[in-house]
This record gives sequence, structure tokens and C-alpha cells, in this order.
Amino acid sequence: MGGRGVGEYTAVPGGIQETGRFERGPMADNAQEVALFRVEGLTKNYPMGEVTVHALRGVSLEVSAGEFLVILGPSGSGKSTLLNIIGGIDSPTDGRVFFRDEELSRYSESQLTRYRRRHIGFVFQFYNLMPNLTAQENVEMATEISVSPMDSREALRLVGLEARRDHFPSQLSGGEQQRVAIARAVAKQPEILLCDEPTGALDFETGKVVLEMLRHINEATGTTVIVITHNAAIGGMAHRVIRMMDGHVREIIENAERLTPSEIEW
Amino acid sequence: MNVLHKKLVRYLRANWGQALAIAAVITCGTATYISLASAHRNLELTRDTYYEKYRLADFFLMFEQAPMTAVFKIEGLDSVHEARGRIVKDVSLDVPGEEEPRTGRMVSMPDNPEPVLNDVALLSGRYFDKSAMNEVIVSEGFAKANHLALGDSIRATIEDSKHTLRIVGLGLSPEYVMMIRSAQELVPSPEKFGILWVSQSFAESAFDMNEACNEIVGTVDGSVPVKTVLDRAEEVLEPYGVYAKLERDDQISARFFADEIAGLAVSAKITPAIFLGVAALILLVLLNRMVRNERTEIGLLKAYGYTNLEVSGYYIQFSLFLAVLGCLGGFVAGELLANAMVKIYVRFYMFPLLRARVYPDILARSMGISIAFALAGALTAARHAARIQPAEAMRIEPPKSGTRTLLERFHAVWRRLSFTWKMIMRNVSRYRVRAGISVFGVMVSAGIMVVGFFTMDAMEFMIDYQFTETQREDVRVALQREMDEHALRDLLRYDAVRAGEPMLQYPFRIKTGWREKEVGVIGIPEDAQLHRLMDQEGRPVSVGASGIVLSDRLARELQVGPGATLVLEPLRGLGENEKEVTVRQVVSQYLGSSAYMNIHALSRLLDESFALNTALLQTHAGEARELSTALKDIRGIAAVELKEDMLANITRELQDSMAISNTFLLVFSGVIAFAIIYNATIVSLEERKRELASLRVLGFSKGEVGAIVYRENFLLAAAGGMLGLPFGMALCKLLVYAYDTELYRLPFHIEMSTFVWTVVMTAVFVSLANLAARRRIHQLDVVDVLKSRE
Ligand SMILES: Nc1ncnc2c1ncn2[C@@H]1O[C@H](COP(=O)(O)OP(=O)(O)OP(=O)(O)O)[C@@H](O)[C@H]1O
Ligand SMILES: [Mg+2]
Repeated sequence: MGGRGVGEYTAVPGGIQETGRFERGPMADNAQEVALFRVEGLTKNYPMGEVTVHALRGVSLEVSAGEFLVILGPSGSGKSTLLNIIGGIDSPTDGRVFFRDEELSRYSESQLTRYRRRHIGFVFQFYNLMPNLTAQENVEMATEISVSPMDSREALRLVGLEARRDHFPSQLSGGEQQRVAIARAVAKQPEILLCDEPTGALDFETGKVVLEMLRHINEATGTTVIVITHNAAIGGMAHRVIRMMDGHVREIIENAERLTPSEIEW
Repeated sequence: MNVLHKKLVRYLRANWGQALAIAAVITCGTATYISLASAHRNLELTRDTYYEKYRLADFFLMFEQAPMTAVFKIEGLDSVHEARGRIVKDVSLDVPGEEEPRTGRMVSMPDNPEPVLNDVALLSGRYFDKSAMNEVIVSEGFAKANHLALGDSIRATIEDSKHTLRIVGLGLSPEYVMMIRSAQELVPSPEKFGILWVSQSFAESAFDMNEACNEIVGTVDGSVPVKTVLDRAEEVLEPYGVYAKLERDDQISARFFADEIAGLAVSAKITPAIFLGVAALILLVLLNRMVRNERTEIGLLKAYGYTNLEVSGYYIQFSLFLAVLGCLGGFVAGELLANAMVKIYVRFYMFPLLRARVYPDILARSMGISIAFALAGALTAARHAARIQPAEAMRIEPPKSGTRTLLERFHAVWRRLSFTWKMIMRNVSRYRVRAGISVFGVMVSAGIMVVGFFTMDAMEFMIDYQFTETQREDVRVALQREMDEHALRDLLRYDAVRAGEPMLQYPFRIKTGWREKEVGVIGIPEDAQLHRLMDQEGRPVSVGASGIVLSDRLARELQVGPGATLVLEPLRGLGENEKEVTVRQVVSQYLGSSAYMNIHALSRLLDESFALNTALLQTHAGEARELSTALKDIRGIAAVELKEDMLANITRELQDSMAISNTFLLVFSGVIAFAIIYNATIVSLEERKRELASLRVLGFSKGEVGAIVYRENFLLAAAGGMLGLPFGMALCKLLVYAYDTELYRLPFHIEMSTFVWTVVMTAVFVSLANLAARRRIHQLDVVDVLKSRE
């Protein structure tokens, strides 16, 4: 399915446009210099009666600002758990997580809430739009509580769905819903975009469009993007790929050369 | 308006039926609170200002006759602030254009207007003129009912001579807010009984009581208990034959009025609490389901940085909105209801100034109360919402494990159930709490209905008991004083009279140990047919030759039973000494509280061989009215009462006022049953839409899917209704207990029809709820439901 060059993602109606509101420039080159996250010996246990599930068994990791990171691994290897802890919606059993020089793992619930509000944008596998809010209102749900949000219509234009802004999720296809979810996450202008299997429920073509968007956001704005996926091929477009297995980080691969989504085959 | 508000508005718009049903229950709660609390405030303020302005006395002393100088002796007693002597006597009245005689209570007033105790509130006309003797101020209700106007004349038979009195004024008195002669009457009959205020000079000459009085009323300064004052006063008035001494609270009008006000205060607390409690329960069910359904949405909001307060706030706002909406409805309904109540009150009570106001503080309080209840209902949901962990909420929830129902253990039964019933049983046992709340709601609703129908049953039973079973006469003739058997014989001579019996009513003080009570003892023949007594089982009881028969209430108050010895002290002029009497039996009595003796034995207690002061007459069919007309001019007769009229009056008055209150009870219970069933249905539909949509895919028709839901509702309603009957009976028992007053007590008597009606109406309400839910079942979009991720 190759043959399409960068920029051909404008297959999405409206396409992605530079808005000029993204002020942070591309940071790909000096990405590793600033540690945005530092994770040390992170463990997470779920006691389930007789047995305890060890979701994370001592994970250490650093994430730089502006990085595009892909987390790979089989089902149950602890990817979502790690992402959730970084995103401040879950807390570790043991170990420490630093966001810049703040220790996230010591935050109270309300501090975590504030942290999510200010810095994090989430994209989930099943879109998770609010069913009785329109596309635009779903975006507003995020912009309303952000410090310096993008205009909600602009965010929708970014994902090529401005024309569908008054539609309810049930009137949108799965891919369109996921694009609204991305618009919602991006509209906050967060520093970190956390995506848990954003293409999991999408077909190949649509998945590529979504990935292309994420890459574009990373490059255009310097937003740190962490993407979880089952699909090893997607790793090709990241700065770094983290392979997880059974609650451990198995290996970290630095891509000398990054592929564009259109070059990815799967 | 922020996004969450939009979400709220959308939800409400999509579920307006549910929202309205809950708001309606809240409306019922606030409306009852506002109306009852306003009525309470209205009556209390009216009473206080009325009593104060027209100076209702603190105590009343009634005796045969005393010189006016006795008043000074009473005034000289410790703590007595002021006292007034007056003449009060019932006379027979002849109203122009009216066949039957009326009874007038003549009350003497000072010759010149002055602010005396128990003053008259003059509504129109003027006070008596000094020079004219025969001027009278008539109570307004009586004048109206008999079409009497200022300037008209009425004729009164006083001490066997006729007087023509000219009406110069219309008035009211704080002493006769409830204008009835005795507790037996239950409701006022304004056309039959009125008050005539006459000048002291006129009363003294007409009754031949120069410089004398037969009643002293007074006020106290509170330094000594009124009881003590009354005891001392009785000693002072000993030579004048004191037969009654009353505190203000025992005075019949004040008593009725005070009981009513106290009853309102209690109802204003209990009734709204029932409705708002039910509303809180419905909200609890609804919001808990919403939180469970919106788990991932809540998780998402939190992942995006919404605080617990913001997320829980959504559910709180939801219930607040319904509370405010319901309460605004309650403002309107409450004021309407309050006005309806005022209409009932002005029918029973005579005030110069009934306040009917809107009290902002009551409205504010009703708002506060309904918000408090709504918040209570929302609290668990809000807590659940706050507790939801975003990471966990975003995970796919494991499917609910199917539970085994109790019924499944009985294989034989379970196997025979159809698939539909198996689903219903599973669902009921899966959502036990919600099923329980539905059952509870229907139970409360049915219970309220039982109470509504019961009050009718009880009143009918009581009226029937008193006026058909007990009082079997057609005409009751009150004599002006005690007479011998000739009086009866004279009456029996009338052609219209078929049979007649004597009766002697006399006030006594009954003592046993340290307990004592002033009671009207009624003497009747041993084989009395026209006034029958019955025991608790409804069997006729004879007064026997000797001994005394007590009403159940009296026996309880004196704490005596058959065989006990009582001491009886006559309270009027007849009879010198106290005498001992043995209790023979206890009989059942609902109106008032009396004691009965053989008329001969009672006469002997008064040192007479035979005396009567009342005659009970049975007439040939249709001749009672004629007879009473014929009797009104006869000397020695104080009053003639036609039972037919009395009965008609009571029935009409009670039925009218009860029809209003029962309509409201029925509407209220309907709202409760409807709201709770409708809400539970919608909640359950929402929860089971996958399950039901799957059934549709399998080939079940809309009707068949609906049947699962409807049958479940009927099952729960049947359980609720079954529990509602005994629950209602318990409420009735409570009511019987609460209304056991000096004046009357309700019989605990429930007709079978009450239960039948309750069951029928419950079925109707549930059917209505099903009908309303039908739309939602039929709208179930199979594709949409199955497409969406659970
Ligand atoms: N709330 C929980 N309670 C119990 N066990 C849990 C919970 N959350 C996660 N786990 C367990 O922890 C382990 C890691 O889960 P996690 O969701 O992080 O895996 P994952 O790598 O994201 O898998 P997938 O690719 O299937 O999403 C799994 O075995 C999972 O069952
Ligand atoms: Mg996962």
C-alpha cells in the first residue's frame, strides 16, 4: 500500500493544517536532553484474593520532552498500567515517577487531577466520546477546563471534521469518532499526549490517518506523544520503541531513521 | 452553560417522563407541607389574635344560680385577674317561615358596650340600645342559614312565655368558633343552633334572675395553676350548685379547635416526609443506575482533569433541578390546596378574620426540605461517582454474573416456569434493592389509599353506630327541667307518636380513689329500645336494674372494670349526697364519653322516685317533621330535634370535606405508585436494553419483550399491594390511636370494599406506568443498541 508521500494524509476531508497556534518548534534532534518523565523501579500489583497479579515488576525509564514514543508488547504485559500511571489516573504500588522535578507518585488525588488538567491529553482505544454530547461539545469538554485551549472548532478542523461538529457520536463512524477523540485531546494543547491503542478499533487505512495526525502534532508542536500498540510495525515511526513483556521493559530501540505512517506495512 | 450542563439538559430532555414523575412526587411532598403548614399557621394566628382581641376567658364555672356578688368572691381568689358573671341558657326559637323550632343559646352581655371577657365580634349592625329591652345580636352563621337580616324579628320561648326579639346586630364570638352544642354533634348545624346575645337586664328579667347569674367566666394571671383556681372557686360557689368547671382547653369549641391545630402540626411533619422520602428513594435508584451506566464517561472526565466535585456535582445538580422543579410545582399546588383547606375551615369554624396568606418562610422552608431530601437521594450516587477510579473505569467491565434465584432451588417449580417468567425472576433477584424499593413504593401508595378509604369507612361506621344503632328515636325532645312521667305521657298522646321512652341526663362527678371525672350520666329504662347500648362485639347490652355502665373510654380513664365501686356526686341542685354505685359493664362509644344507668336508679341518686328531662319519640313513618313543628310551642319544652335532619347535616358536611381530602390522597398515592414503577421500568430498560434487543433479534415481538417488563412490574406491584394492605391497616390503627380525643374516637373498622378499591386502583396506577413505558420499549432501536459498545 505504499507510494503515497508525506502530506497525502489530506485524504482526510479538510486535512491537517498548520494553525500557527502551535508555538513550540520541532524538538526531534535534541529530544533526549530534557527528561520529561523519569520512572524508577515502578511496580504495580493487583491483589485478587488468593493470587496477586503483577502488572508491573520494576520498570525504569526516561522520557524526553518532544519525544514520540511507542510502547509495544503482548496483551497483559502492563502497557496500559504504565501509561495510566504516567498519565496520573493510576498510582503505583512501589517505585517513583517524576514529572520534571516533581514526584508524581507522591501526589494527592487533587494534585493528580490538576496535573491531568494542565498537562495531559488522553486518547483511548474505544474513543470514549460522551454519547449525548455533539462532536464539538465533546471537544469543549476538554477545552473548558484547560488553561490555554485551542478553539474547539479549530481542533475539529485539524482532524477534518469541522463539518460534522454538530453530530452525535452515534452518527459518526469509528474512525471519525477516534478523530474527534484526538481533536479533544489536542484541543487542550497538552504537553503530553497519551494514546492507548488509538488504532486498535480501526481498519488499516483509517489507522494510518490517525497515526499520521499524531506524528504531525508531535512534529509541529513538540508535544510529547506516547502511543501504545500491539502492532510492532508502528514502532517504525517512533523516536524510540519500548518493548514490554510480563511487567518488565524488555528492550528499548532507538530508531536511527523514522518511517512515515504511509511507509508502514502491516 | 458548560458542557456538563448541556449533558444534563440533553438527558432531561430525553428522559422528561422520568424527570416529571419524580418532580411530581416532590410536588406532592412540598404541596402537602405548604398547605398543612400554612393552614396550621393561619389557624394558630387567627386563634391567638381572635382569642386575645375578644378576650376569651381562661376558665368557665357553671352553676344553678348565684347572686352577682359571687363574682367578687371569685375575683378575690389568688391568681384570678378578672371575672364576669352572666346568664347562659338554651331557649326554643321560632323563626318566621321555618316550621321546625331552633335552639338558641342566650348569652347575656352588659347593657352598655364594654370590652368584657368573651366579647362579641360585631360584624354588622349595632350593640343593644339602653332603652330597648328586646334587642338581640345573633350569631352570623345562624342568621345566614335562616335568612335572617338586621331588623327581622324572632320569637323565643323563655320560661314558658313568648318574647319577640329584634335583630340589631350580627356577630361572632371566640367562644363559639366551632358552634356545636355537645360533642355528640360532631359537625355544626348552623340553621338549627345559634347564639343570641341579649342585654343583662333583659336576661335577668326574662329568666327571672334578678342580680344573678348562672355562669362565671374569668382570666388568671398564671401564678397558680388553673386547676387549683377552679377547685377553690368551686368551694366558694358550693352553695350555688356548681355542675361544671372548665379550663379553656376543655371548653368544647376551644377543644375542637386546639385538636385541629395540633393535628395539623403533626400532619405537616409526617405527610410531606412520606412523599419526599419516596422521592429520595426514586432518585437513589435512578442516579445509582446513571452512575453505573456512565462509568466510563465519569472515568473519561476524570482522566481529562475534572475534579470529583465537578463530576459528582453533575448528579447533585440533577437532583437539585428536580427538587426545585418539583418545589415550584409544590408552590402552586400548595397554595391551591391551602385555599381548599380554608374553604373547609370556614365551613366548620366561625372566625371574623380567617387569615389565608402566603408565608414566604414556609415556602422557603419547603424548598429547603425538598432540596435536603433530594440531596439525600443523590448522595450515594455522588459518592459512587467520586469513588470511580479513572484507570479502572476505562477497562471493560466484566459482565454481571448471573445469580441463582431462590426459586431455582425448587426445581419442580422452576422447571414449570416459562422463559419469560424465568427472566423476570432472575432480574428481580439480580436487582434486589431496586425491586425492594419498587415494592416499598407501591406499599406506601397502597397504604395511603387504604387510609383514605378507611376514614370514610370509619366515619360511616361511626355515624351509623351512633345514629342508627344507638339512637333509634326519630324525635328527641329536651325538657326545660326534670319532670315526672306525666310529661312523657303527654307526649305519647300525639297521634304521630308510635312509641316513646324517657331519658334523664344529669351531670355527676365520678370518683374512684384519687381519680375523678365530671361526666354526664344518662338514665334509660332497663328494656330501652330507643337508645341502645352495645358492647365491644356489637351485642346489645341492658343497663340492668342497678349499677352503672361505662363507655370504654371512661372506663379506661378511670381505670376501672366491671365490679369496681364508684362514688357519684350530683353536680346540680338535685340530690344531696354522694352515693356508691357498682360498675356493671363497659360499652363501646365513639362520640363523646358517657355513663349509663337505669333511669329509676339514677332518679333515686337524685332523691327522686322518677324523673326525666328528655323524651325519645318514635313516630309513624313520615310524621316526624310534623310532630316537631307541633311541639315547638309547647310549654316546658326546651328543644326539639329531628334526627333525620341532624344525620343529613352530619353526613353532608363530612362527606364534602372528606371528598376533598380523599381526592388528594388518591391523587398523591397514584403519583407515588406511578412514579416509582415508571422510573424503575425505565431504569431497568436502560440497563437491559442489550438483553432485550437480543431477544428482538431472536424473533421476540415488541409485545413479547414488553410483556417481560410489564409482568415484572405487576409482580412487584402485587407484592407491594399485598404488603400495602396490612401496612395501610397499621396506618389506620395509628390514626385511630392519634384521634382518640375527649370528643370522639374513630372506630377501627375497614370495609372489604376499601381493600378491593385499593387493589383496583393500584392495578390502574401500575397499568398507567406500563402504558407510559410502552413508548420506550417500542422505541428500542435494536441496531443501535447492539452496535454500541457496552
Ligand atoms: N484493575 C485491575 N484489576 C486486576 N488486574 C488488573 C487490573 N488492571 C490490570 N490488571 C492486570 O494487570 C495486567 C496488566 O494489565 P494492562 O492493562 O496493563 O495490560 P496491557 O499490556 O495494557 O494489555 P492489553 O494489550 O490487553 O491492553 C493484566 O494481567 C491485567 O489483567
Ligand atoms: Mg491495555
